[in-house]
Amino acid sequence: MSKKILIIDDDQDIRSYLGDLFTDNGYETVMAEDGSVAMDIVESEKPDLITLDLEMPGEWGPRFYRKLSQNDELKRTPVIVISGLQANKYAIPKAIATLTKPFDAEELIKIVKETIG
Amino acid sequence: MFKKILLATTGSPASFGAARVAFDMAKRYGSEVTIFHVVGVPTKAFSHVVNDVRTGEEVEIDDEYLSWVEEELKTTFAKQFAGADNAKIVLKTGVPSREVLREARKEDSDLIIMAASSGENVTFHKGYPGSTLQKVAKAARCPVLSVHRESASYWGGFSNILFGTDFSKQAESAFKFALSTARELDCDLTIFHALDISGKVLDQNEIEENLLVARKRTRETYVPLMGDFKNYDIEVWEGTPYVELVKLAREKSIDLICLAHHTSELDPERARIGSTVEQVILRANCPVVSVSKPDKV
Repeated sequence: MSKKILIIDDDQDIRSYLGDLFTDNGYETVMAEDGSVAMDIVESEKPDLITLDLEMPGEWGPRFYRKLSQNDELKRTPVIVISGLQANKYAIPKAIATLTKPFDAEELIKIVKETIG
Repeated sequence: MFKKILLATTGSPASFGAARVAFDMAKRYGSEVTIFHVVGVPTKAFSHVVNDVRTGEEVEIDDEYLSWVEEELKTTFAKQFAGADNAKIVLKTGVPSREVLREARKEDSDLIIMAASSGENVTFHKGYPGSTLQKVAKAARCPVLSVHRESASYWGGFSNILFGTDFSKQAESAFKFALSTARELDCDLTIFHALDISGKVLDQNEIEENLLVARKRTRETYVPLMGDFKNYDIEVWEGTPYVELVKLAREKSIDLICLAHHTSELDPERARIGSTVEQVILRANCPVVSVSKPDKV
């Protein structure tokens, strides 16, 4: 059974690009355009990994991560931060990796494979 | 509560974090934001020739120069201006700290937001808040919110507040501000006291006895003031206060730290914000608000 990745980003282009990238590499994907709707999707879909943008129109990435880390069942879900903001590696210190847009697709896939296989 | 925000900015990258927080608050809480920039310091009293705050060069202030500066600021913050209906730019000449305070008084600002330093001096930038923040925080009637690290501005709104107390008189105002913010924005509130054991070797029983006393004092001091507000935790442990505050904020994903501006130096010309607040401002991964007076809490 293929592993599932939740993509959280307000940019439709980024969501499509990441969706295609992960699908081409054998992963199943689900999408959320904002941190506020993402929590419901995490609870229903139980993804194996999450890619997270930081700055979004409603709920920003760090606040979504806080909610995630307060849920005993979901708090160990690995998160990769993908953002255009500077100094973003300090925003969510417990993320398994932080990539700055524009990011290297091969590097991202390598991190995903190392994390969830 | 945050009806009128004064964003004091040099327009330099060091102030981008402060600007991000100010504009986000404007959109999120419907605040009115004044982007306040001091163009330069007059070379003589009331002179039209000023030393530009950014370049240090002497420039003559006229309408053309002011409109150029305004355009520069609009370009710098173009993305933020795009969604902000309630933002205006105000330019002044003079000594920055004095003009910021004057504008805050004139506008009756509820909150001043500024960077901790202009970032021009790297060594200073790492170790100390700049003199403008020092002077503004000391004299402002309203709370002063500061953002130093870029990553400290990546929260988007407040929902988890940390109030650090040393049980000082000033801490009463800081607590009132933290509590009213928590009530109004439906936040969780953590009340924290760090038992300062830096540079001391104490018996563990003595440390834990002091912790019990501090916890009791925290409860007795703050719980009666909270009425029906129940979203609070009380944390007390030993360590170096600024280190423990920053660690707790990071561990609990705190998005606003609220501290009393406190100093033992009574001479207002020499008094600094207080070393704990200074260090927390420089190191925290979220905005830090310092409160020194009871007027706007």
